[in-house]
Amino acid sequence: MAKGTVLVVDDEAPIRDILSFYLKRAGYQVLTAGDGLEALEEMGRSRPDLIISDLRMPGMTGDELCKRVKSEAATRDIYFIILSTLDGTASRIGGLSLGADDMIPKPFHAQEVLAKVDSSFRLIEMQNEIKRQNRELTTFQTRVREEMELAAALQMGLLPKLPGKAPGSRYTHRYLPAAGIGGDIYSVLPLPDGCTALMIADVSGHGVTAALISAMVKTSFENQVRLGGDPLAWAYGMNEDLCRSTLPEQFATAWLGHLEPASNCLRYVVAGHCAPLRIVGGTRGGLQRSEVLRGKGFMLGLDGQLPFADYEAEFLPEDRLVLYTDGLVEVEREDRSMLEEAGLRRICAELPGGAEEAADAVITQARAYNHPAQFMDDVTLVILDRNA
Amino acid sequence: MLNIQTRQSGSASVVSIQGKVNFEVTAQLRDVIRETVATAQPKLLAINLEGVSFIDSSGLGLLVAARNSVDKSGGKLHLCCLPATVKKSFDQTNLTNYFSIFATEQDALRGA
Repeated sequence: MAKGTVLVVDDEAPIRDILSFYLKRAGYQVLTAGDGLEALEEMGRSRPDLIISDLRMPGMTGDELCKRVKSEAATRDIYFIILSTLDGTASRIGGLSLGADDMIPKPFHAQEVLAKVDSSFRLIEMQNEIKRQNRELTTFQTRVREEMELAAALQMGLLPKLPGKAPGSRYTHRYLPAAGIGGDIYSVLPLPDGCTALMIADVSGHGVTAALISAMVKTSFENQVRLGGDPLAWAYGMNEDLCRSTLPEQFATAWLGHLEPASNCLRYVVAGHCAPLRIVGGTRGGLQRSEVLRGKGFMLGLDGQLPFADYEAEFLPEDRLVLYTDGLVEVEREDRSMLEEAGLRRICAELPGGAEEAADAVITQARAYNHPAQFMDDVTLVILDRNA
Repeated sequence: MLNIQTRQSGSASVVSIQGKVNFEVTAQLRDVIRETVATAQPKLLAINLEGVSFIDSSGLGLLVAARNSVDKSGGKLHLCCLPATVKKSFDQTNLTNYFSIFATEQDALRGA
């Protein structure tokens, strides 16, 4: 197999012959042309890897040929060596500024040309390898990006459809994953007895792994709710599920709630999650009083033997429930302070009556507080309003 | 920026952490703890949190994983010198009951 194809362009037949002889003997395939135009014709038939061209020729000169070759996308990468009798730095620079890759002064020794061709082919080989690797990398990056986009779209599909409706209440959410895909998840399940099961969770870490676990958390929650029981039983069941199927450092903080509109009772478990806010009469808008639905509890997935506790709160018609993940309130500002729960309560002291407007107001004001710092972690905000 | 220092005190290893412990730095901290446990094989690993200004859930998860790995190798993990903000995070997640927590480093080393 030939080592590569070299096109020799010179108006002097003896020079073409002697270069052809040496190059062929060294294992190259050789094409020849008497001037630039002939060279372009030859290139129409087969594509050389390298061109050695004389500078001064009748018809099309070497510099014109070089300009043509280097200005066409299809031929730009062909290695171009100019042969020139003008042996001076000025003409060398002149030749290279035309876009030639190298120059050989005339008169030359055929061995010198051969050595230059050999070293040029090593360069060509390296360039080709880099190009090939670049192509592979680009293909890989594209595939990863496409898969991430697909995963992000699938994850959005795991969230409840808006506008959300549950028995005696309505809800909306704002979901802002940090890396296109995230570890936050929430679920609102209407129950046959007129009650509603609620869950919000934040899986440790970011990205695809966290997203995968968040899907498991949602499935586990739905399975537990289907089995009946109360938030305490759900917490134990979900904790077992997560301990069984995740690695030691993977866990989720969660808040699980059971809302019974008939008794205005909200029963809940806090599993290491930020305590939600109850805004009394919040759906009426204006100045409102909020209370924190406190509780203590371990995160889910730490240890299968850990105990949980449940709590109870009143949740009246026209009340508003604000569920969120820590990404909303744990952005460090330039002065190193963070919004935290207290800051969120200040924002919630006066919100619009509509859930959508209220959700927008919370996000906007949290952003304004953090500015110019951005949300770094996944942010999820759920606003659930009890009907009048 | 997280600053981590380790030292030996008899058969115990002490890891002192300063800075903000969040997702961005857990890998760094995990490596130090893993290496300390592997090379020193301490009967007691004390983690001093005095200089920690903030810890998020990834940081808490790392400490839990550290306790599990020390347990498995037959050792003990003691935490000490929790600043108020860190204590709050521990309380909220009930981890105060999960770890052996001491007020001072001397207590943590004595309490083996």
